[in-house]
Amino acid sequence: MSSPEGDYLHIVMPDQISVRRQQLGRLIIWGSACALFLVVILQSLDQVNFFSIGFENWRPTLYAYLLWAFCLCLGQVILYGEQGKRRLFILPAVLFVVSVVIFPLIFALGIAFSSWNLSSPDGRQFNGLDNVYQMWTDPFYWNAMKNMVYYTLVILLEYIVAFGLALLLNAQIRGRKFFRVVFLMPLMLSPVAVSWMIGKSMLEARFGPISRLARELGWDNPSFFGSPEMARAVIMIMDAWTFIPLMMIMILAGLQAIPKEMHEAAEVDGASPWKKFWEITFPLMLPVSITAILIRIIFKLKLADIIINVTSGGPGGATDSVTSFIFREYRDRSNVGYGTFLAIFYLIIIVIAMTVLIKLSDRWMKPRY
Amino acid sequence: MKVELYNHLVRNGLTRRSMLKGAASAGALAAMGGAIPSIASASSSIRAEIMKIPGVGMGSPGDAEWQKVGELCLGPVKERVKPGEFKGVELTFMGLNNQNLHNFLFRGFLKPWEAYTGAKINWIDLAQADYNPRLQQSIATKTVDFDIIEMGAPFEGDTAGQGLLNEMPDWVKDQIDYNDLVGYLQPPVGTWDGKAYRINIDGDCHTFCYRTDYFGSGSITGRANPPKTWQEVNQISKDVVGKTDPLTGLPAHGFLDPLKGWGGFGMYFLTDRAGPYVKHPDDPAFLFDVDTMKPRINNPGWVQAIQDVMDLIAIEGAYPADQINADPGTTGFQQFLAGTGSMLTWWGDIGSNARTSDSSVIGDVVGFNMIPGSDRVYNHNKGAWENTYNEAPNNAYLGWGVYVTNRVEGDSKKRQAAWSAAAHIGGKDLSLWTSAYPSGFQPYRNSHFNYDEWEAAGYDRAFVEDYLGSNLDTYNHPNSLNEPRIPGIFQYYSVAEDELAKGFAGQYGSAQETADAIAVAWEKITDSIGRDSQIALYKASMGL
Repeated sequence: MSSPEGDYLHIVMPDQISVRRQQLGRLIIWGSACALFLVVILQSLDQVNFFSIGFENWRPTLYAYLLWAFCLCLGQVILYGEQGKRRLFILPAVLFVVSVVIFPLIFALGIAFSSWNLSSPDGRQFNGLDNVYQMWTDPFYWNAMKNMVYYTLVILLEYIVAFGLALLLNAQIRGRKFFRVVFLMPLMLSPVAVSWMIGKSMLEARFGPISRLARELGWDNPSFFGSPEMARAVIMIMDAWTFIPLMMIMILAGLQAIPKEMHEAAEVDGASPWKKFWEITFPLMLPVSITAILIRIIFKLKLADIIINVTSGGPGGATDSVTSFIFREYRDRSNVGYGTFLAIFYLIIIVIAMTVLIKLSDRWMKPRY
Repeated sequence: MKVELYNHLVRNGLTRRSMLKGAASAGALAAMGGAIPSIASASSSIRAEIMKIPGVGMGSPGDAEWQKVGELCLGPVKERVKPGEFKGVELTFMGLNNQNLHNFLFRGFLKPWEAYTGAKINWIDLAQADYNPRLQQSIATKTVDFDIIEMGAPFEGDTAGQGLLNEMPDWVKDQIDYNDLVGYLQPPVGTWDGKAYRINIDGDCHTFCYRTDYFGSGSITGRANPPKTWQEVNQISKDVVGKTDPLTGLPAHGFLDPLKGWGGFGMYFLTDRAGPYVKHPDDPAFLFDVDTMKPRINNPGWVQAIQDVMDLIAIEGAYPADQINADPGTTGFQQFLAGTGSMLTWWGDIGSNARTSDSSVIGDVVGFNMIPGSDRVYNHNKGAWENTYNEAPNNAYLGWGVYVTNRVEGDSKKRQAAWSAAAHIGGKDLSLWTSAYPSGFQPYRNSHFNYDEWEAAGYDRAFVEDYLGSNLDTYNHPNSLNEPRIPGIFQYYSVAEDELAKGFAGQYGSAQETADAIAVAWEKITDSIGRDSQIALYKASMGL
């Protein structure tokens, strides 16, 4: 707020809200809340055929929710004046997040504990813990989980390669800018394109150029997806090829942020290149490295498109990822209830694993100066 | 007609002379007018006229041609509907957009219909891969938002079985000449509980494709003719191991089994092999027991088919490298057309691509037959093998049809409009045009096999007889495989593919164990969908 005399600090003081205004505010909030509650109840009863009102879809509830959200925001201003306006900075965002994250999650939980085969004339049926039992005894799911462990462990190798490339690109080499762009290009490609260009074409057993090269080098019948180990390794390589640039660019950014003086000081002290890397670069890069690895893990846990396109999880499930298995369960078999449960369970596993990882890495994140 | 096949005919089977001859014949037919009553009917005249649009060899038809054909074929509609009678009616049509055909064609065909009747059609265009999820979700969430749907017969269980379709009125049957269908598309296909729902617009079947240079005197197989049984197919596959392909100079291979899943569609290919073993002429069922839905997939016939594949897997070199990762798309387009392997089963696309696709090298050495039979057949009801020759060609997928949903019920005008629109695009004359020109649809009516009409339009008689004849043999075979149109049929196929992949990768001890695992998974699906309802729907789908 400004005045002819100059700017003064604007302090929000509690407004003097009249009792009538307070009553009006409460009426608006609680009235709209009651309306929302009523519509939800009516809609639910209509949905379970307790009686028929003629609701064709869930839009009445949506409209009631929007009305309540608007009234809640309006009520803050009426009830609390200036303080209420401050709440409006955050309240719509909270309501939006609740709408698009929390509600769907609650619905998903409902579906996860149901038997819901889209072809079943009975529709969705609550089935308690049946999906848990089914998952527990489902060899395909646990096989996919085991594969995910392999896929995730490979990130350590990817990290080493990415670090090496970042060091190269950070060095004073000829054509540095050109190589930075070139090395980034795989990241710009869609994994679906990678699947077809590399997995289905270049690695095609008889006519693919890589197969021809392998034959030239003495491998009689090159087969890149014939054995479980080979197929898994090739999927790992294709995925790594796509995503190593992501880690590389993050590490490169970190390397460029390290003050040159530190290396210069080490040189003056007579440190060898290895010593400089191990005692200065690597510790300083730990926060960036951990972040890069964590982000990479998140990407890796979603691995599906390359597998779906190239191997469909084969041979015999050797390359299946949890996501590609859920894709088949959900899309090909319309098994919505079980598929949703698998996805929710996987989400929980990921949240727990990532939380533990972040906690553990907190210690490592602190650079050893 | 499939686009590729049309291109093939144009490039290879048609000369300018033959086209002119055909056009002249067609013109003569039209000009003969009332001279010969049997030919000079209005319908014959229209058939001859539409077969000239745009004229075989005159480029691919587009929207202008589609509209013109639609306009010319409006006669049966005009007999039953007054101009502007459906003014104010809005219909929603859900279908595919494959190859820019299907719905795009329907739009053109129906524009004159819209102009004449006053109705308006809104379109939902779907890619093939999105079709099944979109349909299943609409059904499950009770949000069917379309009045007319283009749909394959395997989904009749999901729709008609759940009461989502509207029964075809009798006047529609008259309009489209309902009984003019090849054998396998006759009821019960297209019907449910005795009620008709489907206007056919397509036909589908698998045929046996083979390399002619692998057979004959001096060939590497040493056999005069292609195999007639699956036993011979396997023997040939074993015999050619270690030999050189006469065309490519690379290692020779026999039959190309797809060993990787294909979203459920891969199951059709094992069924090709299993058909003659498991489809007994006295028994309409081959996948499940009719009364219990108990899977037959682990009976000795199916196990033999799986074992046949495993036998070849066990022989190094019987299949190309990486066959374990080959789906039907790979076996068909990357292997067979590229000169790898000598035998294959597929839909008509392979035949039509063989001479038209740039990536095909086998155009001059490819032949077609009905799917092989077997020296013996398993009689499931008696629980014993019978040593008699058996054939069971696979009418895989049963082709596309047009259906009207029950959204039109309660509004007689809308219902009549929906059926009128559907009958127009499934009309007898119009379907001749879709059979003859690029449309994505195969011939499916007996009247499509009148070779004179094709010749008059300018097609090469010999090729048309060969092409249409091979389809006709399969379509009308008395023991052909018609899959059960039960809800979730592709769920069964999909899970079978997963288990087969494990079996083929050696994770199960035997073919029997693999088949048993599929049977267990199928039982779970049946329970998940509802056994009683599945039994009832299975019986209904088989017309029992």
